Amino acid sequence: MSPMKRIENTVLTVLTLLAALVWIFPLYWTFVTSIRSDENVAGNTSILPDEFQLKAYLDAIFNTKLTVWYVNSIGTAVIVTVLVVLISMLCAYALSQIRFPGRRLLYGIVLGSFMVPAQTLVVTQFVLMNDLNLINSWAGIILPQLIAPVVIIVYKQFFDSVPKEMREAVVLDGGGEYTILFKVFLPLNWGITTAMSIVTFIGVWNAFFWPFLVVTSEDMMTIPVGITQVNDAFGVAYARLMAVAMLAALPVIVTYIIFQRRVTEAIMISSGVKG
Amino acid sequence: MGVRLTNVAKSFGSFQALKDVSMEIPTGSFAVFVGPSGCGKSTLLRMIAGLEETSGGQIAIDDRDVTAVEPADRQVAMVFQNYALYPHLSVFENMAFSLRLARRPKEEVNRRVQEAARILQLEDHLPKKPSQLSGGQRQRVAIGRAIVRQPKVFLFDEPLSNLDAELRVQMRLELTRLHRKLGATMIYVTHDQVEAMTLADRIFVLKGGVVQQAGAPLTLYDDPDNRFVAGFIGSPAMNFLPAVIEAREGERVTLRLEGGDHRFETQLAGDAALGQPVEIGVRPEHLQIADNGLPVQVEVAEELGDVSYLYARTATGREIVVQRQGSRDRLDGQTVQLSATPRNVLVFDAGGARLR
Ligand SMILES: Nc1ncnc2c1ncn2[C@@H]1O[C@H](COP(=O)(O)OP(=O)(O)OP(=O)(O)O)[C@@H](O)[C@H]1O
Ligand SMILES: [Mg+2]
Repeated sequence: MSPMKRIENTVLTVLTLLAALVWIFPLYWTFVTSIRSDENVAGNTSILPDEFQLKAYLDAIFNTKLTVWYVNSIGTAVIVTVLVVLISMLCAYALSQIRFPGRRLLYGIVLGSFMVPAQTLVVTQFVLMNDLNLINSWAGIILPQLIAPVVIIVYKQFFDSVPKEMREAVVLDGGGEYTILFKVFLPLNWGITTAMSIVTFIGVWNAFFWPFLVVTSEDMMTIPVGITQVNDAFGVAYARLMAVAMLAALPVIVTYIIFQRRVTEAIMISSGVKG
Repeated sequence: MGVRLTNVAKSFGSFQALKDVSMEIPTGSFAVFVGPSGCGKSTLLRMIAGLEETSGGQIAIDDRDVTAVEPADRQVAMVFQNYALYPHLSVFENMAFSLRLARRPKEEVNRRVQEAARILQLEDHLPKKPSQLSGGQRQRVAIGRAIVRQPKVFLFDEPLSNLDAELRVQMRLELTRLHRKLGATMIYVTHDQVEAMTLADRIFVLKGGVVQQAGAPLTLYDDPDNRFVAGFIGSPAMNFLPAVIEAREGERVTLRLEGGDHRFETQLAGDAALGQPVEIGVRPEHLQIADNGLPVQVEVAEELGDVSYLYARTATGREIVVQRQGSRDRLDGQTVQLSATPRNVLVFDAGGARLR
């Protein structure tokens, strides 16, 4: 390696490291704060952990409704993920593989709904959920989150890319649409389904705005909404707040560590669509 | 009758891909559809498979009208150019796929797949995935998938065109053997006339959605119905030269070539008006170097050992190919004179139809 090249590499490494530090610091600070005692938090600017105690965590678990929020978060996230992936997959399959009048228009509508920012729909959706008596219920949290044009678009592009002979081979072998989709197309690339599930799950897990609007009862809150309650119930209980935040982020962090490569892929696939 | 098409037509929008195609393919024969790109060969095959709807006419397999029957119920199997193997399944499961869908008993699935694997020498590869196979092996798996179904008709759409030349020759032989062994009706699409000649009992030459001629390979070679078939079948292609009918004495006809100084003779039974503009066609192997004939300038001579090809040009600038057997004299750049015996001189009218 030439000296020039070596300097360049060192500089790049240092820059990357700095960027990584900027990203990791909030997580680190959350962790350090969460293992301090409440009295020791305010005004403490020490970067290094100067105390190690799990009181904040115990408080979070036993003195808040964290476990209920956990159940709500996991429940709604799993249901939304399964439904979104299934519905979008079926919708994309029909749009890509089945000739029926109006399919171009339908796909146009899907693409169009992709252009509409979710925030603009919030009022209508809230009124609708209210009319359906679904405020403060799982169904109220779940239903509006089932609209996922990106997942439809990703699946459609995937199905479009499968050579048409594959479909015809199955048809001649005596298989119907069910066989084509579930026994051939999906197994061709499970990566797409894994990716879409991960992206959807993380999105729903982190969702704040909509659950915050549709839920007012503490028993129906998901973790991100619940965090705001910690703030209210204990004044500014930073240690406890950070402990809840740590526990809220835990599933996402664990998912990321287990599926690291998949998640990166997933984000690349769906951001490729978002452009 | 294995497969019978009656006045079959196909339109894509306003484009007519096939026009009024009728043909009969006897049970157990090997039929080949051949023609230039876009002539409708694949479309016709896919219509027999049921993958493409007909715009008119009937399709019958084993004397049963299947025009409105679902592809899976027609008892046909198709081998695709790109193999279309299921990449996530093993070779065994690829071949067993249709049987599993039909819920055949395990023992029968096993027996039929093993038998197909034996015929195609794939026994050692059964647990592998398609991606671990060579092109030729993949093609054999695709054929195996067809054999397992024991169809009445095998349909092949250019199955060898993704293979290299040597493997193609080898697979061609294997297909002929397979056809003899199974005795099933086979329909094979290709744009390679050598494949057509070597494989077929019966060739159907298509152009522009119309069957130009149907017949045994040598019939098409020796006795083409029109200029297109004459030019398409045979390699190197037949030579064509513009001429007029100059004189006629009973069946003996004298043709004066373009430029006016040279003549060929042939025999024609049918009508042929004096002075009528025609084209004569002579195959490269039917042209001899003679003392007195059409003078041509040899531009390139290809010596292949057993035969040589002379690429030459007439005084009027027409290209002519001459095939010579066993001769080794160097003729590059020389002028030679060509003649042909009357029965090897074919005549086509201005519309391309053969005059006989
Ligand atoms: N789905 C379709 N829609 C519109 N036109 C089509 C369709 N399928 C085929 N065609 C047209 O029909 C004609 C015949 O097509 P086909 O695929 O049968 O040709 P082919 O003889 O198999 O050619 P090749 O040797 O290139 O495979 C072509 O002109 C093609 O453009
Ligand atoms: Mg074709």
